[in-house]
Amino acid sequence: MSIVPKETIEVIAQSIGINNLSEDAALSLAPDVEYRMREVMQEAIKCMRHSKRTILTSDDVDAALNLRNVEPIYGFASGGPLQFKRAIGHRDLFYIDDKDVDFKDVIEAPLPKAPLDTSVVCHWLAIEGVQPAIPENAPLEVIAPPSDGKNSEQKDKLPVDIKLPVKHVLSRELQLYFDKITELTLRRSDSALFKEALVSLATDSGLHPLVPYFTCFIADEVACGLNDYKLLFALMRVVWSLLQNPHIHIEPYLHQLMPSVVTCLVAKRLGNRFADNHWELRDFTASLVASICKRFGHIYGSLQTRLTKTLLNALLDPKRSLTQHYGAIQGLAALGPNVVRLLVLPNLEPYLRVLEPEMLLEKQRNEMKRYEAWRVYGALLRAAGKCIYDRLKIFPPLPSPPAHAVWRDNRKIVTCSNKRKAGTEHLEQPPPKRLATDGPVDVVSTDLSPSHMPGEAITPAPSNDSNVGPSTSSAHMPNSNDLDRKVERGKGDHRSMKTSAILNQVWKDDLKSGHLVASLFELFGQGILSFIPAPEMSLFL
Amino acid sequence: MDEEQVVKFVETYLKKKGFKQAELAFHDEVQHNSNANSVDIHSDPDLSLLLLSLSQSEDTPARYHEEYRKLRSWTHSSLDLYKPELLRVLYPVFVHCYMDLVAKGHIQEARTFFNSFREDHETVHSRDLQKLEGVLSPSHLEEMEFAHTLRQSKVNLKICQYSNELMMQYLRNTKSTMMLGIVNEHINFQVSPGQPSSISDDAEVVTLIGNSQDAANQINKKEIHWGLLEDSLEERLEKAGGLLSDSEKTEGDAKEGDLDETKVNILKRSVEGGKQGASVKKLKKDKAASATAKVVRPETNTSSIAPRVKSELPLPVIPTEVEQSILEDLRNRVQLSSAALPSVSFYTFINTHNGLNCSSISQDGSLVAGGFSDSSLKVWDMAKLGQQSGNSVLQGENDTAPSEHVLGPNGVKRSYTLFQGHLGPVYSATFSPLGDFILSSSADTTIRLWSTKLNANIVCYKGHNYPVWDVQFSPLGHYFASASHDRTARIWSMDRIHPLRIMAGHLSDVDCVQWHANCNYIATGSSDKTVRLWDVQSGECVRIFIGHRSMILSLAMSPDGRYMASADEDGTIMMWDLSSGRCVSPLMGHNSCVWTLAFSCEGSLLASGSADCTVKIWDVTTSTKVTRTEEIKTGSANRLRSLKTLPTKSTPVYSLRFSRRNLLFAAGVLSKCK
Repeated sequence: MSIVPKETIEVIAQSIGINNLSEDAALSLAPDVEYRMREVMQEAIKCMRHSKRTILTSDDVDAALNLRNVEPIYGFASGGPLQFKRAIGHRDLFYIDDKDVDFKDVIEAPLPKAPLDTSVVCHWLAIEGVQPAIPENAPLEVIAPPSDGKNSEQKDKLPVDIKLPVKHVLSRELQLYFDKITELTLRRSDSALFKEALVSLATDSGLHPLVPYFTCFIADEVACGLNDYKLLFALMRVVWSLLQNPHIHIEPYLHQLMPSVVTCLVAKRLGNRFADNHWELRDFTASLVASICKRFGHIYGSLQTRLTKTLLNALLDPKRSLTQHYGAIQGLAALGPNVVRLLVLPNLEPYLRVLEPEMLLEKQRNEMKRYEAWRVYGALLRAAGKCIYDRLKIFPPLPSPPAHAVWRDNRKIVTCSNKRKAGTEHLEQPPPKRLATDGPVDVVSTDLSPSHMPGEAITPAPSNDSNVGPSTSSAHMPNSNDLDRKVERGKGDHRSMKTSAILNQVWKDDLKSGHLVASLFELFGQGILSFIPAPEMSLFL
Repeated sequence: MDEEQVVKFVETYLKKKGFKQAELAFHDEVQHNSNANSVDIHSDPDLSLLLLSLSQSEDTPARYHEEYRKLRSWTHSSLDLYKPELLRVLYPVFVHCYMDLVAKGHIQEARTFFNSFREDHETVHSRDLQKLEGVLSPSHLEEMEFAHTLRQSKVNLKICQYSNELMMQYLRNTKSTMMLGIVNEHINFQVSPGQPSSISDDAEVVTLIGNSQDAANQINKKEIHWGLLEDSLEERLEKAGGLLSDSEKTEGDAKEGDLDETKVNILKRSVEGGKQGASVKKLKKDKAASATAKVVRPETNTSSIAPRVKSELPLPVIPTEVEQSILEDLRNRVQLSSAALPSVSFYTFINTHNGLNCSSISQDGSLVAGGFSDSSLKVWDMAKLGQQSGNSVLQGENDTAPSEHVLGPNGVKRSYTLFQGHLGPVYSATFSPLGDFILSSSADTTIRLWSTKLNANIVCYKGHNYPVWDVQFSPLGHYFASASHDRTARIWSMDRIHPLRIMAGHLSDVDCVQWHANCNYIATGSSDKTVRLWDVQSGECVRIFIGHRSMILSLAMSPDGRYMASADEDGTIMMWDLSSGRCVSPLMGHNSCVWTLAFSCEGSLLASGSADCTVKIWDVTTSTKVTRTEEIKTGSANRLRSLKTLPTKSTPVYSLRFSRRNLLFAAGVLSKCK
């Protein structure tokens, strides 16, 4: 009936020396005890409120007892709220953990520090209603700024309207998934399961919440795992997969991702063992970088420029190791032939001069170094070759190699390459007949958009060259000229001026290409020739 | 039903109810008289049935339980239209069922009954339930005032005719005689024709003590003069401002250059309070004359709308130089509104070791007092505090101004002035308007007056019999009011050691007290969940404000004298219209005790400081305007707009104070336990 059981009453009675308290007495006392206790607690709560506290302390109970003119209970003074502990085996029995203290210890112990005296400190809680971001105010403490950089920013502009942090909730499944993927990446990147994981990363639609975690993970692991070739490769594969995933909106995290990727491209050392094929990793990363640039280059205007600048700096710094040069070249090459033409080729000659001694047995005794130099040379050659191939490929192929071509002593090689390429050439290059039909369409389309024309006239796009290039083939010439004339008739006289300008420009370009091939030949020797399509070869050689 | 039976029923009924006198009288009646009234019984089978059931000997406690349960389920399944009204009946019935059970000694059954239905009422009546829960024997019922008054009085319930009929019909049909008895005995239905009222939480629901409601309605009809004092400084300012602006016109032109600069300085200067040197003061004077005369103009206009009343007390005369400085402050006042929020300067007490009970800030913010549970009162001079830290950097140990610091017993420099004299925890402290005196109230039942100039105790006021919870200086000084556990509030003057007036009437502790702006009234908040307004001159209660659901912790009066704000333990703040005695709007937002309230000086904003470690700023003007236009729809949810919540760093806010220039000062204790 009462929350105070009669046993309690009996125990209390015994404690004050009444041993033979009858059960009835205990039973009728119990409710009264409860009533008095409640009364005292109510008063104690009042005292607590007037002490402006929300936690009841033993002082409040003493004060309440004082109010009732009852002797307070001594020996329970407490500075703060009491810590109750639950008695083992009882659900609702609590006690205060009172430790035994040895007098000797207390006496021998050094005097405790005197408590600090009460004082008052003053600060601005708000200035005209806006809370200044000073350490005395709550929010800054609660919202830990994500990085030091941002912290200083916040302090610069004093009154900040602080937004509460957004709580990022990850479902249990996603957490498990993340753990599994990271575990695979870190330890079992050669297993078949990892391949499955990569596929899943590249296709699953619900992974977006994990992207920040993945970027963070990749950045962390790349930063501290540069010696682990396998790990780096696995990480780059993860990046690749993430990039492939059409459901992921990865742009906001690119800035975090790019440094790691570029690191894997141009780091001095990737992996610590001899057997680590870091060249392959660099090649892979180069393609990765190129794909990122291709996809997001138009969104982030500065992405490609910054990237090429970084790579070029790496390439042109003679102090950097050859492995770094290799990575830079691969990266630049992957960005496309135009990049190579504009950035690499002008620097080719001085660079090769530096590289040459490294490649020679007499000058460089270290076989490893020599090997690296040759790798770099190979990469350069490939880049330059690809570039020049791309350059030449845009010209329409000649119907047949002219008979009066001048052959030099390298004829044999040329013919070899000619033969080899002949098969593929037909597939890649549009046959002249088709071109004749395609050509007019293109020309018309460019001519019909007058607003486009002036720009074209000054810097003709290489892709258009082929259709209007007069010098490449005499057979083609009349064709396009005919067309031009037709258009001129329709559009007016000023057209002729422009077309002639284009023709001049294109002609210049062709000349340049010619010079380019020549200079490349000078630098690389015969190696470059394999990249030049046979028909064009005949023109230049 | 034959006659003898009826007589027997009546006899048993009377016996059961313990009406011995009536029983004897009845016997006499039966013996002597013919049975004139028994005819009715014959003709009314309903009534006879009722009597039959009443006299039934199986008056077991189980019937209370059963009948209440039935009534409850019937109420809950009633039509939505009438449900709110019928639900209101449940609580008094519940309480009285419980008390009846206790009174009859069925303690065990009472407890089970209480526990099985208490959840229904927990949300609204938790405090009352806590109190009642302890009642376990008939003697407790007598002893406990709350239960006693409940049993003595009737509850008034507004109910529409149809609901009333529904309920009565139900009770009769189901022969729930117990319930019927309780309803008849303890509930006074105020049947109103027409539609049921939809207001689910008006004052009547919250309080059960019926007679106080009647009394309150009666009392609240009294006339009060809430207008401001005539010839107050504010009023004088208008004239003075006009004069000054005329006379200073020539001077003002020269000073116009530094106007902007000084404007920026206003805030800074008012923080520094006493710090400012003579040069600054001069600057202030110059500027006050020329610049702010225009700014003040609209404000004085609004305050002059309030009617002027004569003071009923002889008021102290303000020295002219003080008057001058006050006038300057008024001229320099920053205009606050929902668009222009105040700056808040926060004083954080550190290392209080859980001992700080209260804090108080002087009018200009330069002095801060703290009352501690170790009976001490400590006063910090913030102006010196600033200097000290400045000096310590520059001069280090060689401080050549020993008079500025109070030396502790060991010669250790203290940053504060220690006032010792009380014998119990200090529960409240208040600065006189001029900052030259402090009053403190303590658990030792005394109030002490201290001088901040002499750093000494001057007077000890004894009069209360129990701890004094609160003490407040009147807005003009000299008089002060105190509130105590002895359920009285008292008015004192500084020069007498006995109280001038004793305000008795609250049913529980008087927890807080506040002066009206015109010094003719004081408001008191109590643990009985009401706020009362008292006439200082007559000592009469002139208003009772009912509506809070828990103990009132703080009060504030609007500077125009029209409104009052009160805050309670649950974090609810209520705005009251003094003239009508009605709640203008409840302010919800805090989720813990609101320790302090303060109106900005022109009354446009209300600041509240709470144990939930926030200072909230509320827009007063919009809400009061709304209610004035829609006065018919009182009770509709026109809540005050919360303008801003300023969280502190785990520091519950103990006191707030707007300076005369509308800078908000706040004080609180850094609490580590989190």
